[in-house]
Amino acid sequence: MKRNIGVSIFWLALGAVLIICGALGVLDESWSGMGGGFAVVGALQVLRYVRINRNEAYREKIETENKDERNRFLSGKAWAWAGYLFVIIAAFTSIVLRIAGQDVFSQLVSGGACLMLVLYWGSYLILRRKY
Amino acid sequence: MKNRIEEIRRARNIRQEDLAKCLGVSRQTISSLENGRYDPSIHLAHRIARHFGMTIEEVFIFDEEEAGGKKA
Repeated sequence: MKRNIGVSIFWLALGAVLIICGALGVLDESWSGMGGGFAVVGALQVLRYVRINRNEAYREKIETENKDERNRFLSGKAWAWAGYLFVIIAAFTSIVLRIAGQDVFSQLVSGGACLMLVLYWGSYLILRRKY
Repeated sequence: MKNRIEEIRRARNIRQEDLAKCLGVSRQTISSLENGRYDPSIHLAHRIARHFGMTIEEVFIFDEEEAGGKKA
C-alpha cells in the first residue's frame, strides 16, 4: 500500500509539472492535457488511499475485493477479452485505413496488433513452463 | 457445477454476507457460487466444505456428463 501511495504521488506530481510547463509555454498543450490526466488519476488514487486508511470498514471491503478469487478470475478474463478484441479491432482498422489510403497509420495499427500477438505467445510460453 | 451451498446455508440460518466474511470472499462470490455461475477453486471449495464441517463431495455435486467426461 505504501508503494502504491508513492506511485500515486509521483503521477500527481508529474501531472502538475506537465500542466505548469504547458501553462508557462515550455511544452505545448498536448503535454499539459496529458498532465491533467496524470494529475486526476494520481489525485483520485491519493484520495482513495486516505479513505482506506481512515475508514476501517472500507479498508476491509477493499482488501476482501483484492483477495477475492472470483474478482481475480474476472479481471484475468476481462484482460483476455480486451487483448483479443484489441487484435480484432486493430486488424479491421488497419484494413480500413489501407483502403482509405492511410498507409502509414495502417502500418502502425497493424504493428500494434502484431505486438499484441507476440506478447500473447511470449506470455503463453512463459506460463506453460511455470504451470 | 451444482452445489448445495444455498441449501446448507439456509438450513443453518447463515446470511450470504456472514458466510462471505468467514471465507474471506465477497458476498457476490457467494451469490455466484450458489447460482452456479462461478465454480470455486479447489482451495475455496475445501474451505467451504470445512466451514460447514462436511466433505467437498457433500457440498459440491460433480456431474461427469456436464464436465464432458465418461460415466464409470
